[in-house]
Amino acid sequence: MTLTTPSQAATRRKLSTSKAMVEAIAHEMRRDPSVFVLGEDVGSYGGIFSSTTGLLDEFGPRRVLDTPISETAFIGMAIGAAVEGMRPIVELMFVDFFGVCMDQIYNHMAKIHYESGGNVKVPLVLTTAVGGGYSDGAQHSQCLWGTFAHLPGMKVVVPSTPADAKGLMISAIRDDNPVVYMFHKGIMGLPWMAKNPRSVEPVPEDAYEVPIGKAKVVRPGSDVTIVTLSLSVHHSLDVADELSADGIDCEVIDLRSIVPLDTDTILESVGRTGRLLVVDEDYQSFGLSGEVMARVVEHDPGMLRAPAGRVCLPDVPIPYARSLEYAVLPTRDRIRQAVRKVVNA
Amino acid sequence: MTDVPFPNLSVKDPDAEGVLATWFVTDGDEVAEGDLIAEVAVDKVDVEITAPAAGLISLLVEEGDVTTQGTPIARIH
Repeated sequence: MTLTTPSQAATRRKLSTSKAMVEAIAHEMRRDPSVFVLGEDVGSYGGIFSSTTGLLDEFGPRRVLDTPISETAFIGMAIGAAVEGMRPIVELMFVDFFGVCMDQIYNHMAKIHYESGGNVKVPLVLTTAVGGGYSDGAQHSQCLWGTFAHLPGMKVVVPSTPADAKGLMISAIRDDNPVVYMFHKGIMGLPWMAKNPRSVEPVPEDAYEVPIGKAKVVRPGSDVTIVTLSLSVHHSLDVADELSADGIDCEVIDLRSIVPLDTDTILESVGRTGRLLVVDEDYQSFGLSGEVMARVVEHDPGMLRAPAGRVCLPDVPIPYARSLEYAVLPTRDRIRQAVRKVVNA
Repeated sequence: MTDVPFPNLSVKDPDAEGVLATWFVTDGDEVAEGDLIAEVAVDKVDVEITAPAAGLISLLVEEGDVTTQGTPIARIH
């Protein structure tokens, strides 16, 4: 098992995020016979967001299992398999469905290692689709990563690019802890969704790991630190490009992991810029945006030269109507206004 | 020189139209035989297109363009 860093220079081959995820899973299934996939429509359908397309053809129905619509049953089955030494990847089709299976996730998956005194490992990856923007209503559009990050015992990763999606998937599969892998539908590069231009990018062909718990400065800047993740990384980068024409130099941090949270990278950046904006598609209150601000203030409240800002989903259910949905999502317009306010420009 | 046609995905309708959903290469890229170059969609069926030959690729249609089956979508020099 090698820990390698992707050599971007040698890579020209491009993949969409969904294909990069599949490639990562296939790499690990070829390498390790204990890795298998289960969930609703992961087999012949290939995952409703194409996160498992083609795996059934290569690995067959004994390693790619279509399950009935009973999340408690099949996530419980995956936990049992992990406890017995397998390395399952189990898909919760939409994170919004967590309500029916949360006992398995946070009372079993997340706690078995602790309650066994560290004697029993649960090397499981729980993949799940998150996010809105395509009129799927209040029960199919949430992010909810703050909910999972709040409960101890699980790592939580949230890639935003094809290359990170592959490397974080491989890291998640090889990790002996339960890892929740949350992919935004808007980053997958799906033909039938509004396409984000960065959802098709060069991806190294070999297996490589992106370390869990390490954020990435995706755009260096000096005036304000934008801490963000998932699809909002791309909106923030677009806004940063626009505002550079007005002389506002934004640094953009893609968190990539929420648990563990890379506090050092946040502090180092805010220490330089003195200004902080958090862009988070999850609900505003009691979540990630407040946690990021708390980490800064706990370290040194004097780091901030201006009040911190945040662009999140207001604490309302996500509307179905497109105009209303886009009124609550962290759009480029809202991010741009918030940056201007934080830098007082 | 090799033309890359939009694949025949509908047997019943020879004039079926489809969409060039995603280009995985950019105009002028060097491709090897078998490289994934595009994904196309006809009636919600997605099909991957791989390079039939090695060389420099010219793209003849844009992402999102509607094209008839059999029409060249790229040319490899």
